[in-house]
Amino acid sequence: MEHVIIVEGVTKKYGSVFAVKNLSFTVKKGEIFGIIGPNGAGKTTTLEMLEGILKPNSGTIDVLGYVPTKQLRELNKRIGVQFQSTSIQKKMKVKEALQLFASFYDGPSQKDHLIELLGLHEKLNVHFEDLSGGWKQRVTLALATIHQPEILFLDEPSMGLDPHARREMWSLIERLRKQGCTIVITTHYMEEAEKLCDRVAMIYNGELKALDTPQQLLSGSISKNITFESHQLKLEDIEPIPGVLRVEENDGLFHVFCKNQQETAYQIFRICHEQEISLSNFYFEKGTLDDLFVHYLEEEVVQ
Amino acid sequence: MNAVVQLAILETKMFFRDRLSVFWTFLFPVVMIWLFGSMFVGNEMNGLTFAEQFVPSWIGVNIVTTSFFTLGTVLAGYRETGVLRRYQSTPLQPWKILAAHTVQGTVIFFFSAVLLMVFGMWMYGLSLPEYIGSTLLALVISILAFFPFALFLTSLAKNTQAAAAISSLFLNVMLFLSGATFPIAFMPEALQFVAKLLPLYYVINLLRGTWNEASISSYGVEVGIFLGISVVSILLASRFFRWSGK
Repeated sequence: MEHVIIVEGVTKKYGSVFAVKNLSFTVKKGEIFGIIGPNGAGKTTTLEMLEGILKPNSGTIDVLGYVPTKQLRELNKRIGVQFQSTSIQKKMKVKEALQLFASFYDGPSQKDHLIELLGLHEKLNVHFEDLSGGWKQRVTLALATIHQPEILFLDEPSMGLDPHARREMWSLIERLRKQGCTIVITTHYMEEAEKLCDRVAMIYNGELKALDTPQQLLSGSISKNITFESHQLKLEDIEPIPGVLRVEENDGLFHVFCKNQQETAYQIFRICHEQEISLSNFYFEKGTLDDLFVHYLEEEVVQ
Repeated sequence: MNAVVQLAILETKMFFRDRLSVFWTFLFPVVMIWLFGSMFVGNEMNGLTFAEQFVPSWIGVNIVTTSFFTLGTVLAGYRETGVLRRYQSTPLQPWKILAAHTVQGTVIFFFSAVLLMVFGMWMYGLSLPEYIGSTLLALVISILAFFPFALFLTSLAKNTQAAAAISSLFLNVMLFLSGATFPIAFMPEALQFVAKLLPLYYVINLLRGTWNEASISSYGVEVGIFLGISVVSILLASRFFRWSGK
């Protein structure tokens, strides 16, 4: 498959602090590519280097065949960007903003299509400052996609949105992808990455920790767990079992993170059988990216 | 080009949506003229009536307020709130942004100047400029010098507050020392020397002169100074254009 973004060994320093360290990845045409990590991990720095706003200290970046910092104007014709908490002029009406941004590009605009898609009809005459957070995000999303960009960069698009607005945002992003747009998205909501992204790059402290499909990342050993209820079993019974990584217990509800679910389950059943302890609601659970993330963070702390 | 026109029209519309800036730009100068009028009307100076002196001066002052507040401080705000940062990822070039704001500023300034003139004619019997072509040319040259100058200076500010502080400093110093409010002849010599270092002094000379006494060809020094400031400022403002406060 065709690669639209190729990043090789990119490092960015602010003074002596590394914001991004030796980062390499590629983004395929038409995919939704997630960059996830906690606040301050280097997500925005990475995105701004792809957009040609920041120049890396070393390494190479290729976006649609351009070197972003050198061919910024050409690149800007073909990409769309939605910033974190962006602002346009407070007193600008929604329809004015759409018209203005359409005038920046030579080609045809999909203004009317976007008004339809994003349901902007009712807000066309509203000043930007009077919109709620969710509507502001819709408008800035429309501005970013008005020229039918080939790559769309979204920096924390659902930050500050309520769960309902967030879900709507996801379905809009899905629809834009169906139009053939490649989407690069940063987020620190793991749920968002899991539901939306084809592939996910996990960044922590400016370094790439993992890169795969959410399913593949979750099928790794770290994130598998076993859940059950028992009021007699104790943490001390389970923690020594070989292959158990971590146990969480809350009011008789156990989460056991382990390398091999079947083996660990057998050991738990054996202990319970020998000690005549009753178990209930026992099931294998697939972890979430959140669990995976916590795992990487803890690893970092241990080191 | 379409983008420049669109942006200029929109920025002009948005200016009129902000009541506070409308007040300061249009009504404040009229109120000032009226106040000074109540003190000085009837006292002729250098053979000029009150209105012949003060209306051209305040039109000159309005060039300064427009360039520093309507343009400079607003753009500094856009820089701080990410409006310019948003433009940075579009094909829009910096010169188009500066050009659009210059057009917007010129339109707003034009309205304010006409308002002051009409007020002067109605209240104090002011007549149209003697050398009207020269006066218009003088205004264009002053605008070309002041707008980019202010845009460059305020772009050095870290945030809106700093830009507003720079602007207020310039405005107040020029207001009191350039002869717009108090006749220079009343000032001690040292201050008269300082006044002649301020660009507004020359704007006022040029406007009063072409309004009452002679055509622009007699003001070679002023025109030369402004064209110089203009070229240098345009170069600086577009070369050192900053998209964000970072």
